[in-house]
Amino acid sequence: MNKNWLIGSLATVLALAGLAFVQGGGAEGGEAEAAVVQPIAFPHNLHAGSGEEQANMNCQFCHFSAERSVDAGIPPVSSCWGCHQVVQGRNNPGEVAKIQGYMERGESIPWVRLYKISDHAHFPHMRHINAGLECQQCHGEIQEVGAEGIQTRGGLAGALFGTDPGVHENGPVWRGDAMGWCIDCHRQPNEAGQQQASTDCAVCHY
Amino acid sequence: MSRDLAERDDGIKRRDFLRVVGVTGAGATLTGCSTSEVEKLLPYVVADEEITPGVATWYTTVCGGCAAECGMWVRTREGRAVKVEGNPDHPVSEGGLCSRGHATLQHLYHPDRFHGPMIREGEVFRQGTWDEAEQLLAARITRARNPQNTTDGGRVMFIGGHMGPSMSRLVDEFVAALEGTRVDHDAISDAPLLEAARIAYGSNSLPRYDIGAARLLLSFGYDFVESGASPVEHGKGLSRMSAVNDETHTKGTFVFLGPRLSVTGLNADEWVPIRPGSEGAVALGMASAIAGPGGGGPYANLLQAYSPAIAAEAADVGVEAIEELARRFASESPSLALGPGSGAHHRNATAANLAVMILNDVAGNVGTTVHYDTAGAGGAAGASNGYAAIDQATTAMASGDVGVAIVHGTNPAYSLPAASGFREAFEQVPFKVAFASAMDETSALADLILPDRHFLESWGDSAPRPGVMAIQQPVMEAVPMFDSKQAGDALLAVSSRLGNDLGAATFYEYLQTQHRDFAGTTGSDFDEAWRQALRNGVVEFAAPASPTPQLRAPQTALTFNPPVLDGSGDLTLLVHPSARFGGGEFSNSPWLQELPDPVSKITWHSWLEMNPHTGEERGIRTGDIVTVESPHGSLDVPVWLYPGIREDAVALAMGGGHTAMGRYADGSGVNALDLLPAVAEQPSGALVTLATTVTVTNTGTGRRLATIEGSSDQHDRPIAPAVQLALLGEAAEEAEEEHGELMELQGVGGFVPVPAEGGAPGAFPLEGARHGEYADAHEGPRWAMAIDLDKCTGCSACVTACQAENNVPWVGEDQVVMGRDMNWIRIERYYEHVDATQAGDLDVRFLPMLCQHCGNAPCEPVCPVFATYHTPEGVNAQIYNRCVGTRYCANNCPYKVRVFNWYRYTDAVPEPLNWQWNPDVTVRDNGVMEKCSFCMQRIRDAENRAALEEGRPVRDGEVVPACEQSCPAEAIVFGNIRDPNARVTQVVASERTYRVLDELINTQPAVNYLKKVTFHEVVSEAH
Repeated sequence: MNKNWLIGSLATVLALAGLAFVQGGGAEGGEAEAAVVQPIAFPHNLHAGSGEEQANMNCQFCHFSAERSVDAGIPPVSSCWGCHQVVQGRNNPGEVAKIQGYMERGESIPWVRLYKISDHAHFPHMRHINAGLECQQCHGEIQEVGAEGIQTRGGLAGALFGTDPGVHENGPVWRGDAMGWCIDCHRQPNEAGQQQASTDCAVCHY
Repeated sequence: MSRDLAERDDGIKRRDFLRVVGVTGAGATLTGCSTSEVEKLLPYVVADEEITPGVATWYTTVCGGCAAECGMWVRTREGRAVKVEGNPDHPVSEGGLCSRGHATLQHLYHPDRFHGPMIREGEVFRQGTWDEAEQLLAARITRARNPQNTTDGGRVMFIGGHMGPSMSRLVDEFVAALEGTRVDHDAISDAPLLEAARIAYGSNSLPRYDIGAARLLLSFGYDFVESGASPVEHGKGLSRMSAVNDETHTKGTFVFLGPRLSVTGLNADEWVPIRPGSEGAVALGMASAIAGPGGGGPYANLLQAYSPAIAAEAADVGVEAIEELARRFASESPSLALGPGSGAHHRNATAANLAVMILNDVAGNVGTTVHYDTAGAGGAAGASNGYAAIDQATTAMASGDVGVAIVHGTNPAYSLPAASGFREAFEQVPFKVAFASAMDETSALADLILPDRHFLESWGDSAPRPGVMAIQQPVMEAVPMFDSKQAGDALLAVSSRLGNDLGAATFYEYLQTQHRDFAGTTGSDFDEAWRQALRNGVVEFAAPASPTPQLRAPQTALTFNPPVLDGSGDLTLLVHPSARFGGGEFSNSPWLQELPDPVSKITWHSWLEMNPHTGEERGIRTGDIVTVESPHGSLDVPVWLYPGIREDAVALAMGGGHTAMGRYADGSGVNALDLLPAVAEQPSGALVTLATTVTVTNTGTGRRLATIEGSSDQHDRPIAPAVQLALLGEAAEEAEEEHGELMELQGVGGFVPVPAEGGAPGAFPLEGARHGEYADAHEGPRWAMAIDLDKCTGCSACVTACQAENNVPWVGEDQVVMGRDMNWIRIERYYEHVDATQAGDLDVRFLPMLCQHCGNAPCEPVCPVFATYHTPEGVNAQIYNRCVGTRYCANNCPYKVRVFNWYRYTDAVPEPLNWQWNPDVTVRDNGVMEKCSFCMQRIRDAENRAALEEGRPVRDGEVVPACEQSCPAEAIVFGNIRDPNARVTQVVASERTYRVLDELINTQPAVNYLKKVTFHEVVSEAH
């Protein structure tokens, strides 16, 4: 008991100090939504959008394993370079040129991860793609997201409530680890009027 | 251990601290941590064509764990090996893999591996580059061979362990080019067996046994299930010969003759507890009885001298027992006698092995159940000469004759008794080189260490028997943090620096050259044949047939009498290979350290086996620490009283007491070799391990053993029941007998009657399975398992397989002592009848106990957070993220199969050992309960694959849990019991099927056991 009491009071003092620190130090927008700075300002819209001057590529051209694997796949640098050797990029050639740099150095592009499903849940991409779902049903109208990327909630709010990739207007509908959102979809009736996917815990958690 | 504990203490404090922070409502202190840990997605620069992220890629290779050379399948994910399994197409192992095979994965990612070449500077090692190291070795070899060099000159000596045929040839060429010497040394050698085969039949390889075909099997102390020449193959053979045929109601008989019951022995139907060292006399006595006067060919005179009466006298058993056994051995043909092999390396071991060969010969088993390769058709070159050769090497080294000593794949500084003087002699060599991937006692003495690759990173080949060849291929890029090089490549590089061209620049090239005759041609045919060999993992070809050989007379006289033992102690010391560590080369694997020994159920440390009567006479109890003293040394070790050992013997396993092997091996247990003299058996040259008598004195102190065993007695409960062979067919009727009405305690309504039919094996879906949301689910698969206890040998391969597949942590010796072991399967071992004083029936029951996936699970209703529940597929699921750790479920589980993460065991796993984790299974944190999931990830994987193929249903046999996959005895079957054609449904239809405790507490398990079948009447258990 004594030990816990001691730890408790110590912790309280530290926590208050920490709060004060964040309040003070983070005044210049620590609470605001922090932009995720990706190593390359990648515009999903120019690649996958169907508008004018947009390439209208299939998502799986780059996310190559979504149809056959639990992982959707991040395109290898060589895959980017395959096109961009030829396509210089009108809008932002400086960003495109970075690909060549990574390629020549033999480095991976250190993309900042926005979507992360917890380790205790398993999401097989291929089952969902093969069930006829569109990528957008979870990932939002990603083909309309430009080089500004998807914003995340940073600062204290991010720490307390988790990074939330859902604040862009075209951003994902899937909100982090919000399992209820998965369940809602699994519970939807199919044409036969039956629940379309299992809501058994062990379907995803094992 | 103290290091681990310190970390855990720290962990508690930190956790308490954070919890309090959470309560005060301020998470501010966390902010810094979470935002600084931005997770990155790192794509390939250029994608590997063979790799799809998230999809496993499988490669075939050959297990490099021991000389058995089992075929292996390796599952890789994103270019990393995550699980090794048996290759079902390989004729030696047929899909099985032993515990040690599984644990080889830990050596691949072992944190104790060298990060680069190590060069000695005074007392310490400095890490160097390969260029520097190879240059140094080449320079030292040149210097040593310079005839003018009188200070540190001398010849080159290569001391090697087991290696594949191509590597062996390369070593020969390397050594020959330097006019050096090669010496082979293995910790455990089958030299006496090999020597006997040479004497008796002129064969240069170990005899091959067709155990599965025998009707009566005798083992003269040979531990072929856990040690021996090919544990998986022989274990499978035992299971096939001794398992009952449910249609004909027949089964083979297995009789074990030896002073101590090993796991192999515990499987026997009868035990003849012969005196240590009397194997030869007993085998000759039996052969004499079978051959009759004048029989036995060149050994007729010898057999004349060994009557059954003389054998009985030597063995300290009744003469009738030996005569009766001899009669049966001749009549129940085909029979087979094995051993004694490494079970009895005494001073007359070659003679003892020869005696058993004579016995097989007179009983007409040669060519049916035992085969000798006399055509020289290749196959395993046999065992290395265990001690005589290295003893000569030691003498040469001590005399200053050796300038450079190179050690590869063996650890003589540990695996030889101190009296051998190897350590001192080796230290005198001017320049000592070790090819080793991690430190061991021999490498620690070296001047230069060249870090060898693990076999999963290397090229190699194997020839386990005539007509079978398999290529060992690297299944992944070498672990990047270890700057290693395959020994073959290093030898070629050094050779070329010395100006010797061995015909290839890399070992891969060399290997391919060795196998040019694959397809009989070269060019594209060869490439295709090579690819095919890699794809299948084995090449089978017609080997020249060996004619049935004729027994030959020995060139020199042999003594078949029991050996003379050192000292005047009243107990004989039996030193045997460990079922977990072999001769000690596997001791640095935490999986194997925590694997309960199949006999004693003790983890981590060493113990001395002693008969309970002997203990009682001396006032020694289990857990007492005793001093064992031989004329050659003394050791302090805790006692474990074991009825399966003769009263005049005590036993110690090898593999403990390492001093320089690494963090998991060092300081755990004692090295039994410290009690032994350094004596070579004649004429084979093997190290004599049954050599001495000892005295045992109680030190008056004791310890709690790190055992997982609760009781070795079933206390008359039908946990592992058996049925007499003669009663098969009637057993079904018996099961129909009326039971008293079963009652069950309900939350509302008190005790209510429950359907009693639940115990009937055919009843599916289970009646009365009311608990859980999905109790009435009647669609989709219903997963179930069947375990045939008549096949199970207790070898414990499933335990390690499960640990590897399911990221089951190891907890350490101190935690096991507290009962916190975490294995999802344990093999229970119950004595029913074990008598060490006379020949007779033996009845020991093995029962693999895992989550029973009860239809009426006691754990489910007590979980306050619904973390454990029944899935519609009949699996008792455990949802880790829901679990809050009340442990009510574990308290309510009658099978004790739920284990709790008391600490962050997985956090303590050092990099890169954590690379072995299966990415498909959640790594559990502290405060979480866990247990067997029926390998849910494998079920999901099969479902996912089926869904991608036009949504077809999962086929029977497609879901194979890790335990079933690994089981050498083929005792486990898993499948959908709703499918009438499924293997599991058909197996469960046996009249032997029962479910543990089901009749008592109506748990309605999904795991069905098939009773063991005995020849004798089953008396003691309740029905």
